[in-house]
Amino acid sequence: MTSKPEVNEGTIKSDLTRRLALQALFISVLAIAVGYATAFRRAGTPIWAAWLLAIGIPVALGAIMILGAARGRGGIGRLKLPFLFVVATLAIGFGAALALPATEGPLSKLWLGLPARAAIVIYGVGLLPIIVLPIAYAVTFESQTLSAEDVERVRAVAAERAGRHSGERSDDIDVESDR
Amino acid sequence: MKSGLPIAALFQVSLPNAARPAVVTVGILYFAVIVGISIWAARRTRTANDFFVAGKGIGLIALTVASVSVSVSGFAFIGGPGFIYAVGLGAMYIVLPAAVTNVMGAWVLAKRMRLLGEARSLITIPDAIGARYRSRAAQGLSAIAIMVGIVGYMATNALAMGVVINAIFDVGLGWGIWIGMGVTLAYSASGGILAGIYNDVFQGTLMAAASVLVFLFVLRFGGGLGDISRTILAHDPALLGPWGKITPLAALSFFFIFSMGSLGQPQAVHKYYMLRDPLQLKWYPLLKTVGLILVLLLYFGVGVGVKAFVLDGRLAPLTSPDQATPALLLNVTPIVLAALVFSGVAAATMSAANSFINIGAAIVTHDLPIAFGRRVANELRWGRAVTVLIAIAAAVTAQRSGAMVAFLGIFGWGLFASTLVPALAVGLNWQGATRSGAMASIATGLVVTLALETAAYFKAFTFPAGVTASAVAMVASFLVFFVVSWLTRGHAPAQLDPDVRLVMEL
Repeated sequence: MTSKPEVNEGTIKSDLTRRLALQALFISVLAIAVGYATAFRRAGTPIWAAWLLAIGIPVALGAIMILGAARGRGGIGRLKLPFLFVVATLAIGFGAALALPATEGPLSKLWLGLPARAAIVIYGVGLLPIIVLPIAYAVTFESQTLSAEDVERVRAVAAERAGRHSGERSDDIDVESDR
Repeated sequence: MKSGLPIAALFQVSLPNAARPAVVTVGILYFAVIVGISIWAARRTRTANDFFVAGKGIGLIALTVASVSVSVSGFAFIGGPGFIYAVGLGAMYIVLPAAVTNVMGAWVLAKRMRLLGEARSLITIPDAIGARYRSRAAQGLSAIAIMVGIVGYMATNALAMGVVINAIFDVGLGWGIWIGMGVTLAYSASGGILAGIYNDVFQGTLMAAASVLVFLFVLRFGGGLGDISRTILAHDPALLGPWGKITPLAALSFFFIFSMGSLGQPQAVHKYYMLRDPLQLKWYPLLKTVGLILVLLLYFGVGVGVKAFVLDGRLAPLTSPDQATPALLLNVTPIVLAALVFSGVAAATMSAANSFINIGAAIVTHDLPIAFGRRVANELRWGRAVTVLIAIAAAVTAQRSGAMVAFLGIFGWGLFASTLVPALAVGLNWQGATRSGAMASIATGLVVTLALETAAYFKAFTFPAGVTASAVAMVASFLVFFVVSWLTRGHAPAQLDPDVRLVMEL
């Protein structure tokens, strides 16, 4: 099988999605790197260094998830909203923890047993994505991730490849199993 | 989630005489179950495929529980709660990424790894890198990077096992190490990863049960999370601030390393090959996330609970933060629960050790020979032999040098993250990635991690607050991967086989 994959509208859209995800990943990792680099300044770490990480980390995680989820027929499809929700939840959670004043004390109002800023981080960053992401993954699994037809296509290609290589000595690249 | 176990904490554990019979009984029962599962698995291990990837025949529930088990080390039971005790909620940033890591791994890696396994009969992580970039050299280099990380993990886990077994059976540290490694070796060498998986299922269930029970006990003993928080806020409110007593940069660094870094942990990623039916991946992230949250309840509960109990005088001040879990178990909880947690800690270390022994054996008998253009004639037989050698080497290292073991245990997670995440996780999803980019990235991760960790350990260099060697190495590895791939982008199309391209496009 040496033919190039079909170039159709879906592939182009997926390529655009992937290209944007890669650019977002690169820029966010660069932002994180700048955040770390500023910590080496003699004057101390500037306050905006933490903001670079607070924004850069959610964008990097969102970008790599989009990169993994994008596929030919329609980019990330219905996953746009869950991804947006999770990136926003993480960024808002970290941002709120950085921006809100420290008011923790014996008389603090508790939210599900924790002071407000801690509750935002523990329940917002730590629990909200659990409610959304795995459900979104399962609900969109056949359309966005893997279908029985996809598995059959791979098995067919594997069988064809095995047929071509039967009797050949496996080389450095085509590392076929001999088990 | 982290490689090391705070060894000092368990060195100081001395079981009260009244507690010993219960702890020893539970310990013996635990080991009896391990032996039983191992004998069963050994009878079903006939080929290298069975030995290294369980014949690609593991069901969804078993794989999920096993994956939870290997994702959590003894750190979650001992070091983590101690860390919360010391710095407050800043320590939570190590475990908070669990909310996204499993589903992220599913989208980025699970499908492609499993389908690559289907298309090429792959059995190791370096196999996937070799297939992706059509490169023996990339396969060999990634194998070396993983092997370096395994050396660290194995020595630490061998020592941790020795300490836990000594705490339970009072046999001395040396015997503890050899008994622990002996049992792990017995099931690793006889039943390979098949024994490992089903022992992981038992061990993961044990860990989850222990964690949930201890968490509920702490809440009940403390009058609920609200009362626990009120006690802490009255004495030391900074502990319940969103960053605890560490800087925001440090807390966010933890989140970055333990979220993005999870995509490069071979003990978890390797499991994707083993699922019987790729379509079962549908429920894998949900089940694994729930399992992981259950196992990590102890981390949070004991950390804040013990802090409150010490502050309100119900527990004596601790000699070190790592005493948080042992102090709670031996002074407050019913002794059967303590016994369950001690067995849970043993389970966590043995489960991690088995996984790393198996991955290390695959590297020596499979990946390195391929990198040099050779194949081992009988991978099953040699896999078993190398398993024995790795286990003995780990036990000897653990016995001989505590300081060196502590050093080796530091960098495992970060080394895997910086060497594997760009080349594997991004590379399997970006057709423009090149062999040169992957190899430069793996080499950068390896060199930067080793150089910075060594310099920091020997105090030749001090990082600014919030910056770690792992974080710097992972960021450097990412940037090198992107830049070198871009510079050599003309070679990218020729480095993709059609079947690999299909797997990447699905």
